Amino acid sequence: MSSLVSSKSSVKRRGEIVLLYAFSALGALLLSALIVESVGANWSDVWNALLDGSLRKPGRWGRTLGSAVPMAMVAVGTIISSKVGLINIGQEGQMLVGAAFGAYVGAHMPGPGPLVIVAVIIGGFIGGAFWSGLAGALRYWRNVPEVLTTLLLVTIAANFVGYGLKNTWLLLDPDAAVGNRTQVSPQLPPDSRLPRIDLFGNNFSLSVIISLMLIILISWMLSQTIVGFRLSVVGQNQKVGKRFGISEVKQGFMAMCASGGFAGLAGSLMLTSGDFAKFRLVPGFTVNLGWTGLLVALVAREKVMAVIPVALVFAGLRTGSSFLAATGVERRVTDVVQGLLVLALLIPPAVLFIRDRRRALAQVESRT
Amino acid sequence: MNELSNSSTSGGSVFTEPPPAVTAEKLSKRYGSVRACDEVDIELFRGEIHGILGENGAGKSTLMKMLIGLVLPDGGSILLDGKPVTIRDPLDASELGIGMVHQHFSLVEALTVWENVALGDNSKLDRNKIRNRVTELSKQYGLDVNPDDRVEDLPVGMRQRVELIKCLCRDPSVLILDEPTSVLTPEESEQLFASLRRVVEEEDRAVALVSHRLSEILQATDRITIMRHGAVIERCLTKDTDANSLAREMVGRDVDMGSTSEVKVKNESFEDADISLEDARRDKKDFVLELKDIVTSSSSGVRELDGFNLGIETGEIFGLAGVEGNGQSALVEVLSGLRTVSSGSVFLKREKISSNNFGRLANKGVAVIPEDRHDSGVVLDMSVADNLLFSNLEEGYRYGLLNKARKDKRAKELIEKFEIICAGPDAPMWSLSGGNQQRVVLARETSDKPLILVASQPTRGLDVGAIEYMTGQLRDLAKSGVGVLLISSELDEILSLSDRVGVIFRGKLAALMDRENADRESLGLLMGRGEV
Repeated sequence: MSSLVSSKSSVKRRGEIVLLYAFSALGALLLSALIVESVGANWSDVWNALLDGSLRKPGRWGRTLGSAVPMAMVAVGTIISSKVGLINIGQEGQMLVGAAFGAYVGAHMPGPGPLVIVAVIIGGFIGGAFWSGLAGALRYWRNVPEVLTTLLLVTIAANFVGYGLKNTWLLLDPDAAVGNRTQVSPQLPPDSRLPRIDLFGNNFSLSVIISLMLIILISWMLSQTIVGFRLSVVGQNQKVGKRFGISEVKQGFMAMCASGGFAGLAGSLMLTSGDFAKFRLVPGFTVNLGWTGLLVALVAREKVMAVIPVALVFAGLRTGSSFLAATGVERRVTDVVQGLLVLALLIPPAVLFIRDRRRALAQVESRT
Repeated sequence: MNELSNSSTSGGSVFTEPPPAVTAEKLSKRYGSVRACDEVDIELFRGEIHGILGENGAGKSTLMKMLIGLVLPDGGSILLDGKPVTIRDPLDASELGIGMVHQHFSLVEALTVWENVALGDNSKLDRNKIRNRVTELSKQYGLDVNPDDRVEDLPVGMRQRVELIKCLCRDPSVLILDEPTSVLTPEESEQLFASLRRVVEEEDRAVALVSHRLSEILQATDRITIMRHGAVIERCLTKDTDANSLAREMVGRDVDMGSTSEVKVKNESFEDADISLEDARRDKKDFVLELKDIVTSSSSGVRELDGFNLGIETGEIFGLAGVEGNGQSALVEVLSGLRTVSSGSVFLKREKISSNNFGRLANKGVAVIPEDRHDSGVVLDMSVADNLLFSNLEEGYRYGLLNKARKDKRAKELIEKFEIICAGPDAPMWSLSGGNQQRVVLARETSDKPLILVASQPTRGLDVGAIEYMTGQLRDLAKSGVGVLLISSELDEILSLSDRVGVIFRGKLAALMDRENADRESLGLLMGRGEV
């Protein structure tokens, strides 16, 4: 009997969820259209420009895919750490450190190209993991909140990498002939770059395939292996974990390192794919993709596979925005649209959470 | 002013005494279907310390919170010096001269004592005035508080005094203390009571002291009100009563209206079983679990277990009685592997087990049904199958990979065996009722043949049917050779299930006896003050 009741209520619940999402997404689009109209532009022009820039014009969706890669990698890492109950918001810095590790390997490692590619990518993971690992270590060694440390380490990362980019023995390009030779790393040689794939007039890097595979791998690991199970237990109830010998410290530290590792991977994939900054590390290399990736994770809400569509939408907004100039709308309007969309997609879960908690509280109160 | 109110109410009350400082008439508060307070009448007199005694959940705190305006009553009225008043929030109460020292401190640790006292004042901040006032009060009541000390540097007992001074600074005519001694050492408690005595005798204030500790109520009060299940069940003067009768009233006899039938059911169903169990294990004298001189300290340094000794035999139910807050939760945490001991050792089948190795006890066969299953028993957002798996991860994961079929098979078997009502192995844990969640815990903990089962308040919050099921399971487990440690504050439960009975008091095993030598009165007394 109780199974009947619960399945009935779950159907009703699912319907409610779909409705809530539809309503709030519609609300966000309406608001966006209003903003566009209020600055004197035509919303359908803007819509078309966004579609042109992200999908329809030749070669555009290849670029969108390229932008989606770092966002998706950052988001996957974020989900890993939140699974265990930790909040990592320093991906921007972890990406930069990862890219710097990758660039260092690329600049100094002799050897055959393919090996260098692999080493650069792995170097990125290690760099990011090292940077978030600092926050993880402080969290468990001295109980410093990881929210603060990860965020503050972003600034430190920028300065460290800036220092590296000023010194030839670290990252600065030794070739004095390079134009604007201030804070640029040497370009990765052609044989150390990820191959690019041509498809229907679009061109994208192998990093798209790599990240897709990694997303599937992590999704599988979290749901189908004991690794994910342990992370969930610790994330949901540390006492239960502790009782059965699942250490909060070990799981938490591992998850934190993996989280930063994926951000670092985002950085090194950006470097070797050449979608950004032409195979060189420069200051501001990460172009806020770390923050955007954080938003992707926020919207995907613990569901690794959901990262794919969300990252694509956000990447589409980004590449589409470069076509807005013709419509007379400031391109940064897409940031507003993006913000509104994030809010819209976050409202339903928040509403559901508050309602569920109220109901649960009412139940508990009536029970005690 | 006083005379005026006297004459106006003299018709209703006794002429020889002034009207009580506080009169509560038929105060009621319900939460959902539960009556936290059911038409409670209480009178607090000036110049008296009024003890309010009762077990956890008896409604003491709710009653006091209504007097201070933290909880709004559903019905009834409050009179101050005979005049009806409305108390909507603590500010109202403060203006009317009612102050409260809460069980949990509300001090800002980074601030000094006088700054904490000044908090909440609306007038201009006058540092010297407040500091002098603190010093003055401190001297007057022998509190020895320095106004310039930083709160974070003070030990717990000192902080309690700061709370008291904070309250006294507003010169309340009525002072309420909610479980003030729960974090204090015995010496600190005695000092507190001495101060309270001055408060009532020298200044004619009224004090209400809420506690579940028998000894301190007897020691510190003039008048006692005993509450149980949201109602007052006894009023008396402290000088007219003794620990025996208080203990009886507090733990309740079978005259208690609400649970008469329940208690009878229990007694009937266990009588015959008890005898056969006794016969079955006459000659077993082999401790499967032994605790030697266990000492644990809370984060604030109070000793929770203070040299605790215990031995459990195979196949027995050992009932550990005690008023809550005497170290039971620390004991369960130690046995759950959630807490390291400061000193002492745990032996399992004569093998010493390190308490620093989390998960070790669970793996070696110490099963636990925790008092609060949501705290350390289940993970609400995971499925029933997941929750059944924790104790034996290999059952669901081979070489680290999920074997869904095997995991579900195990879950289905246990669901059937323990009659867990749920939508299936994948049902989220939160969708189950409390009784069924408890069955999931029981199923998981006992399915792998444990050596020891620690059951802490296993029937709390369950309905009659679920209680019967749980107690039946405990008996069956003991019969199958598991040593059962039953920790409970319900004497009925202890007496109807146990083979041996112990009493925990202030972190020590205060008494140990066979079931046939245990009677309700002496146990109640032991629970209340640690000695007969």
